[in-house]
Amino acid sequence: MSIREVISTGNELAAIAAVDAGCRFFGGYPLTPSSEVMHVISDLLPKIGGTAIQMEDEIAGICCVIGAAMAGDRALTATSGPGVSLKAENLGLAQMTEVPLVLVNVMRGGPSTGLPTRVSQGDVLQAKNPSHGDYKSITLCAGSLAECYTETVRAFNLADRFMQPVIVLLDETIGHMHGKAVIPTAEAVKEGIVPRKKFDGPADEYFPYECEADEPAVLNPMFEGYRYHFTGLHHDKNGFPTEEIETCRKLIQRLEDKVAMHEDELESYEEFMMDDADVMIVAYGSVSLAAKETIRNLRAEGIKAGLFRPITLWPSPATKMKEYADKIKNVLVVELNIGQYHSEVQRATARLDIDGLFKVNGRAISPNEIAAKVKELY
Amino acid sequence: MSDSKVLMRFTGVGGQGVLLAGEIFAAAKIKTGGQGLKTATYTSQVRGGPTVVDIQLDDEEIYYPYAVDGDVDFMLSVAQMSYVLFKDGVKPGGTIVVDPNLVHPTDEDRKKWNIHEIPIITIAKEEVGNVITQSVVALAIANTMMDAIDKTALVDTMLSKVPAKVHEVNKKAYELGEKYAKEAMTK
Repeated sequence: MSIREVISTGNELAAIAAVDAGCRFFGGYPLTPSSEVMHVISDLLPKIGGTAIQMEDEIAGICCVIGAAMAGDRALTATSGPGVSLKAENLGLAQMTEVPLVLVNVMRGGPSTGLPTRVSQGDVLQAKNPSHGDYKSITLCAGSLAECYTETVRAFNLADRFMQPVIVLLDETIGHMHGKAVIPTAEAVKEGIVPRKKFDGPADEYFPYECEADEPAVLNPMFEGYRYHFTGLHHDKNGFPTEEIETCRKLIQRLEDKVAMHEDELESYEEFMMDDADVMIVAYGSVSLAAKETIRNLRAEGIKAGLFRPITLWPSPATKMKEYADKIKNVLVVELNIGQYHSEVQRATARLDIDGLFKVNGRAISPNEIAAKVKELY
Repeated sequence: MSDSKVLMRFTGVGGQGVLLAGEIFAAAKIKTGGQGLKTATYTSQVRGGPTVVDIQLDDEEIYYPYAVDGDVDFMLSVAQMSYVLFKDGVKPGGTIVVDPNLVHPTDEDRKKWNIHEIPIITIAKEEVGNVITQSVVALAIANTMMDAIDKTALVDTMLSKVPAKVHEVNKKAYELGEKYAKEAMTK
């Protein structure tokens, strides 16, 4: 794959990635620390015939994105935790109607308005279940500047493959840091675009929600002669509301299974110095950068630490985490919240003795703090 | 921390242009084949709140994006509250440049660190003729004292980030910053 070197910030790279991945619609409302995503894409999209709209609030932001996606566009919204709270109802609507979209959440301190300019990873569980009801979230988390680009691109392809919202988690640190990133060229990204499936048979034989038990709906873009219905209610093969018992069960089971049965297509993680590790640090996002620095320092002192970094947070790389945790006794989860992913690591590894280092005061966790914890515990 | 790493910290209050100075440093280092990274922390009080910009320059890959407190080689400060908040990040014997009209180090501080007083804001306002150029004066002082990056590469990067009509004034700001830094170093 052809690559290029750029000097940029995480937020800017996410915006450029969206455009390169074929996104032609942005709707949102600026929210620190995500605002630069909107600033940059508002500049880029009109130049190539796309549309960027600042709506009256975060709710309207995602509503117009759902509309654009119904019309066939690849569409993006960006915000931070408080904005996701507002968008939650409509994320549920997009899950239920199977409308693909990408949401970039640049995490800041919460709950509520929290710490607007400070780093946090407090939205990890929110990303798993932003709204009520059963469905399976797809959430990707960038752990470097380059991944702000590559994971946003991947999010658009996954949204169209699985026909549902895909969340990209950045955090304030990674969104705002400014440095070098080596990323694919726009041409390479364009070649890798897999558009959503379309039905091209006769209109009277088209049933968008009639599909295999583990496959997503096939939604043709609106205004192309294929008529069907969108609703947040349980619906039949044409999208019209129904309470028919078996149809209702199958629909919700399919929302679960279309992701659960295809986790192999979603799984993504990094193993850093794990080959001979006898301490496994689990970290993601900007915290993984501190963890890498820690590991470099600990290894210089003879402590064999390694990093397991989930990139797809939801669904989690549970099988791989268990494989490591079965071999390695000392496992430490480091995150900027009070154990949101720690509980997932416990679940995945079926171990209650997983250690944690947590921080929730809006400040980054430094390599020295992680090193001190490793030495204290092991 | 790798031996080749240079850690610099610019502190001030929101709106003084310290962010751009950090970006210029990082970009110039990358363009000369190294690694450069700028991070900033600021408060939700965008104008007037304490702001700190960490600049890391290295020949090796940089992982942790912030300067580790206690490892900072050089700090420049143009606001008392930021100076007090962030000075302890500088390693003992490290260099601190302050604007003496705005920042007042204690006698203790002067024993602990190598402190230089350069009236950065006054230089920008009166000698360059444009207060906005204070970040370029600061850039020049930091680079002269730390000998961090080839001057031509840094100035070219700086000029690429400002409009052509202000190139001359920014070049002047750089030269003045360099002159004052050299004078301070010989004292």
